[in-house]
Amino acid sequence: MKPIRGRAWIFRGVLDVDWEICPFEISHELQAKGLYTEEELGKYCMTKVDPDFPKKVQSGDFIIAEYMGFGHDHDHACLSILGARVSAVICETAAPYFLRNSIERGLPIVELPGILKAVKQGDELEVNLDRGHLTNLSSAVELKFEPTPPFILERLDAGGMIPFLKNEVEAGRIPRRLERR
Amino acid sequence: MGKTITEKILARAAGRKKVSPGEYIEVSSRCPTPMGNFGNLRGGLEFCVEWGVGVFNPQLIRIVDGHLGATASHNAARSRRITREWAKAVGIPEENIYILGRGGIENMFSAERAWALPGEVYLQAVNGHSSGNGALGAFATTLSYGRGSYFMTGKTWIRAPRSVKIVVNGKLPKGTCARDVFECILGQIGPTGAGGAMIEWTGPVIDALSMDERFSLCSLAIFTGAWTAIINPDGKTLDYVRARTKEPFEPQVSDPDAQYAKVYEFDISDLEPQVVSPPKRHVVRSVKDLEGTPINRGFIGSDAGGWLEHLRMAAQILKGRKIHPRVVLNITPGTTNILRQALDEGLFKVFIEAECVVPVPNEGMEWGANTPLSDDEVCIASGQTNYPGRMGSNQAQIYLGNPMTVAASCLEGKIADPRKYL
Repeated sequence: MKPIRGRAWIFRGVLDVDWEICPFEISHELQAKGLYTEEELGKYCMTKVDPDFPKKVQSGDFIIAEYMGFGHDHDHACLSILGARVSAVICETAAPYFLRNSIERGLPIVELPGILKAVKQGDELEVNLDRGHLTNLSSAVELKFEPTPPFILERLDAGGMIPFLKNEVEAGRIPRRLERR
Repeated sequence: MGKTITEKILARAAGRKKVSPGEYIEVSSRCPTPMGNFGNLRGGLEFCVEWGVGVFNPQLIRIVDGHLGATASHNAARSRRITREWAKAVGIPEENIYILGRGGIENMFSAERAWALPGEVYLQAVNGHSSGNGALGAFATTLSYGRGSYFMTGKTWIRAPRSVKIVVNGKLPKGTCARDVFECILGQIGPTGAGGAMIEWTGPVIDALSMDERFSLCSLAIFTGAWTAIINPDGKTLDYVRARTKEPFEPQVSDPDAQYAKVYEFDISDLEPQVVSPPKRHVVRSVKDLEGTPINRGFIGSDAGGWLEHLRMAAQILKGRKIHPRVVLNITPGTTNILRQALDEGLFKVFIEAECVVPVPNEGMEWGANTPLSDDEVCIASGQTNYPGRMGSNQAQIYLGNPMTVAASCLEGKIADPRKYL
């Protein structure tokens, strides 16, 4: 996987999937209107904390957070972050449901204790998931983290679980069981 | 060096000698996976059909109707049809489908059947409160968006969690239950106190809890930032499991010298009934600090507070009394089995004479699918959570308390200490 480059947007405190990241009621409303898409959910990403975030953030930027993805296993929050065109989330702690859902949606998550001390708002970062390496290009600080293993990188490289599974089916590694009946 | 129950279960499920916290592993499970009828086929379920792939083992998937009940809300009719069509298309056998009138909240329904075997990984399709099944000594978690991947391949990946041990000493005082233990500890360790971890509950208070209360306690795990929770199986657990399944199993327990990311120790001998005040889930106070706060709605139910033992607690307070004329109290058993037992014990006679609403078993009001809250209503509930909009209007307020506190408050039309009725 190629290194990811972008600017840092810092969010402190506990960030709930159903409130700070993207209110649950928005996901309900968009579903009712048939507008449940990354792009639509992205318009509400982090707006409870920074109302202009979706307008300010640029494609490829990072969310740098303290406790990311608190609460239920609702995956609309991951979609909302992707819709805001964020490339990855790097946080002190990642809630496990949030981590799993994000990776399955194709959004890399890195748990990196100490990240908030090493990065300032707007810093330019380069992250290398397979090497487990982060460089703060603005301050020349370098941090190491547990490399993301190849079988997870494969899913991220494919763009998430669905495209990954599609490749697997097409390559014959997942059988088409229904056709045999 | 010793291992935790979690490390042992995950190593077995991954076919490895050892699994360390933070490691990404692939696991399989021989436990059934229940799926609620949410009626959306996100998470790759639609592609099981579209690509002709089906599912890895139709026998191991169970459809449990338990989130909607007899409601017109939340697209119920359409959800049921879509779920039913999907089940047929991928070949789920008819006997694995528990429709309305047979089902209940899937994590409670599964616990009653001991689908989560001690020592095994247990996976649910959805519902962040599957952790309740950890009370059976299983690694219980929810596939969530990754469900389609598991259904297609019979495998899922997880990042092994660190373990946080919480030792609870003392003896539960009158008017309190497992939920108060949880809230009191949550109030102290905060919403990230067990961040990303597996909580291992232990100590004399946990040993003395009934299985109902252990399920309730474990179901609340995510509010401490934890992923899930587990209790080392004891005689009570093994008797419960053996009475419900003929499946063989190999229970695992933590070694005495196992390593934990953190160990907390609490004594709850002076515990008072706890109340969570809106809108934050972790702002917890003694009922005494909130007594007198007007409420007009009540809810006793959900996987946190809708077990048989919780209905008994409510009936103890409501017996021979009527709730306040301004108050609507919804009491919903979690499963049809709980309903049947509660009927046998005469609990529903008490509830109806007290003028409560008694819907069919389901999650219902917990997420606003039955008797939703309107603007400016104030509810006290034994449900899971209280964020704005959880039970209907985002202008309504939700307090959370144990079933006795909810019952006592509904008698008075204001938050009340249940101990005066005991």
